[in-house]
Amino acid sequence: MNTLTDRYLAATLRSVPTQRRDEIATELRASIDDMIEGRTDGGQDAATAEREVLTELGNPDVLAARYADRRLQLIGPTYYLLWLRLLKLLLSFIPALVGTIVTVVEAAEGKGFGAIGPGIVAAMQVAVQIAFWLTVTFAIIERTQTAVDLPEWTVDQLPDAPARRGIPLADTIASVIMLVLTIAYLPLQHYHSWVSGTDGENIAILDPALWSFWLPALIGVLALSVIFEVVKYRIDRWTWALFGTKVLLDLAFAVPLAWLALSDRLLNPALAKRLSWVAEAENREGLGLAIAVGAAAIVVWDLIDTARKTRQQTTA
Amino acid sequence: MVSEDVLRTHLQELRRGTVVVASLVALRRPDYGYALLQRLSDHGFPVDANTLYPLLRRLEDQGLLTSEWNTEESRPRKFYRTSDEGESMLNRLLDDLAAVQTSITGLIQGVER
Repeated sequence: MNTLTDRYLAATLRSVPTQRRDEIATELRASIDDMIEGRTDGGQDAATAEREVLTELGNPDVLAARYADRRLQLIGPTYYLLWLRLLKLLLSFIPALVGTIVTVVEAAEGKGFGAIGPGIVAAMQVAVQIAFWLTVTFAIIERTQTAVDLPEWTVDQLPDAPARRGIPLADTIASVIMLVLTIAYLPLQHYHSWVSGTDGENIAILDPALWSFWLPALIGVLALSVIFEVVKYRIDRWTWALFGTKVLLDLAFAVPLAWLALSDRLLNPALAKRLSWVAEAENREGLGLAIAVGAAAIVVWDLIDTARKTRQQTTA
Repeated sequence: MVSEDVLRTHLQELRRGTVVVASLVALRRPDYGYALLQRLSDHGFPVDANTLYPLLRRLEDQGLLTSEWNTEESRPRKFYRTSDEGESMLNRLLDDLAAVQTSITGLIQGVER
């Protein structure tokens, strides 16, 4: 016998606790037969009646869950908020931390920019692992109905009402990361550019002679800019004093850069021997002009944007 | 115009607890699952079979119902009956239901339309 009813019973009983399976089976079969009989007495044919009755009883997994008093949810309302808070907390710094460590270690082994890839991969793997194991833990707690003593909520836990930030944290972080990457690039290109000489030695992009003064000076300006970003975040709004400092810092970086580019002192002369395109004076002039114009455009745009924000935030 | 979905959810919420009360009342006279289902729906308590059958077992587990197998008829049937414990629980529930009705009546009279 393998009627629809048999199949339905088998599907339902599959996930009902064993010790009560037989009893539930007998009772449920009798109930189904009763329901079918109720319909055939009304003149329906048996096959249609069986189909309709089983449809009415619905998905056997749902019915089994009701018999077993089992919850059809991974993490219920009791633990959901705690799960979410822990997940956010852990994801907020651990993947970034691991990713940074991996990048630093790989970079120390001389991978140069190639170190960023493994760092990102490691961060993503860690994030997935955290999410998975945290969720598994909570799903188990939910199912074992372990009484976890959650601290009662009190009014003292209320956070301060958020003041509207004039300087968003995300902007500050993005700026600092850009600055740090630029600072890191300057020494990096000296030891690991992607250009190598005839006998495989590394050829720096920027003229090594600049290390006597200009490159350290530019790094100093960038470091000051990092400090500036942090101070700006603490003050939490643009002021005209900050705007003035910003003008000085922007010019202190862009003017030497443009001047070096225009006077053809930026690129390593050794590059010309290796890359024929760089060897031609005309190309070098064009490149220098492009760098100078680009730097000027960025500074002008940045200062207009900053002036606009400063005016908004000082008049408000 | 209230949407049908919203109405259905609220009616469901309102009816949910009354199924237990109705079953405990009805099972003062012993009965088996399908017959109880019929009796309840005849008296204006339409219950889904897939809700009622598991509910009966749960009430039995909680000691509010007792059960007995009847094998004399064509198929074996499990007859449920409201236990003493179920009876005292039922009285509490009926009191509360009456209290809800009283409160609602009072509220309706107190609020001008």
